[in-house]
Amino acid sequence: MVIVKRKTLTLAERLYLPEILRGLSITFRKMFQPKVTRQYPEEPLPTNEVTRGQPRLRELTEGHLACVSCGLCEAACPAYAITIDGQETDRFIEREPERFEIDMLRCILCGFCEEACPKEAIFMSTELELAGFTRESFKYGIDKLKRSTEELAPRMEYIKRINERW
Amino acid sequence: MNDFLIILIKTCVIYGCLIGAAALMTLAERKFSAWMQLRYGPNRVGPWGLLQPLADGVKFIFKEELCPDGANPWIFRLAPILSAVPAMLTVAVIPFAGDVNLFGVDCGNLSITDLDIGVLFLVAIGGLSVYGVILGGWASNSKYSLLGGLRASAQMISYELSLILIILCVVAMTGSLDLRAITEAQNTGNPLSWNVFSQPLAFVIFVIATFAETNRHPFDFAECEPELVAGFHTEYSSMKFALFFLGEYCAMIVMACLTTTLFLGGYSVPFWEDAPWFVELGSFCAKAGFFAFLFIWVRWTLPRFRFDQLMHLGWKVFLPLALANLLVTGAVISLA
Ligand code: SF4
Ligand code: SF4
Repeated sequence: MVIVKRKTLTLAERLYLPEILRGLSITFRKMFQPKVTRQYPEEPLPTNEVTRGQPRLRELTEGHLACVSCGLCEAACPAYAITIDGQETDRFIEREPERFEIDMLRCILCGFCEEACPKEAIFMSTELELAGFTRESFKYGIDKLKRSTEELAPRMEYIKRINERW
Repeated sequence: MNDFLIILIKTCVIYGCLIGAAALMTLAERKFSAWMQLRYGPNRVGPWGLLQPLADGVKFIFKEELCPDGANPWIFRLAPILSAVPAMLTVAVIPFAGDVNLFGVDCGNLSITDLDIGVLFLVAIGGLSVYGVILGGWASNSKYSLLGGLRASAQMISYELSLILIILCVVAMTGSLDLRAITEAQNTGNPLSWNVFSQPLAFVIFVIATFAETNRHPFDFAECEPELVAGFHTEYSSMKFALFFLGEYCAMIVMACLTTTLFLGGYSVPFWEDAPWFVELGSFCAKAGFFAFLFIWVRWTLPRFRFDQLMHLGWKVFLPLALANLLVTGAVISLA
């Protein structure tokens, strides 16, 4: 059996009032310390290349997507968020997506699409904010998804570095 | 006719200020609690969040009125009124400042009325507010509300006893039940003549008992969120709920005013006996404001007592101490 020894309290502690005053002084001092709350909309969350935000499609310099519409990301996506319709093109890559749609309400930001992609065409961006008035408005098409290579460059570098480790 | 008009204006101004102060106190409560927890508190509505009480009020008005099944609808509606009205009535006898002279018109003393039984009036009307809590808890037809109401009534009655005994000490010292006479007795220009220095023990007991009397932390057993959801107002919504809150904050302000009047010389200004009325008013507001802040400060510092500890403190500690204090005061007065 364990016997817990209770500390015998001094008279001041049993009177309780000095201890209350001590507690009050602590809370009073806390009032003047710097606040830790982030004022969110004005003060955005810090992001860097490790941030796994919403997936975005990389646009090659000439205005075309890097995507060859292979469908690997569509297959890898655990949330069935991606829908791709491919079409032929005269460019060297021969195939490109006619429709590339990610349902942002379904996407769980897992990053599997980025891992599956053989052509470095889809990357997790640093964009975190998502708001809309209708369900339809969350179905992002190519026009909303494409980002320039420069914008996604830090993430591309990061992914390359990670992949070299294996 | 002119007198009537002046009293009407004074009543409107004082009640307007009371309700305004209660609204501001809800904001202050949130602001101070936030600062103590290293947060900012409401700062979106209006400059510095000052319009937050207004937004809260609008929200309360637009909420749905609910009346639970099996509740007694009349008593259910009566309870919030019974809780808010006595708290607001008691402010009528508080003397805020001396003679007011505005634009050459002598408006008399700055209080709605100077009853010669002011203390009695305050205690009697203040004691009514317990009905709001009990009836609210009982009429809701909910076990949480009932338990909250029961606890609150037991608590308020036990502490009212010590509270009144302490007030008796002050009344015995002054020899008057008139709050203005009590203030004037302390208004000698010397802060040492304030009752807090002649009755330090009584002051401490009084301040702690006011916490229990207004159902504030660390004695808020009427609400006691972890045990009773929200206590006696669990089933209330919309403006009825807001009325309970208004009553609570008004009671706090009145208690802060009463502590100031009884123990800190009311509107008396240190080292300035015949101060003009606005200086006296400022002095009163500063002192009462401190006690109002104390209510908030203590709430966000101390954990809640256990109910048996509260009863133990009330009956076995405060009551004997208050009685002894009254005895000693009486003995000293009759010997001197
Ligand atoms: S991040 Fe995951 S859920 Fe979202 S589209 Fe890519 S694979 Fe699908
Ligand atoms: S895996 Fe890459 S290349 Fe294949 S469809 Fe998806 S984004 Fe396009």
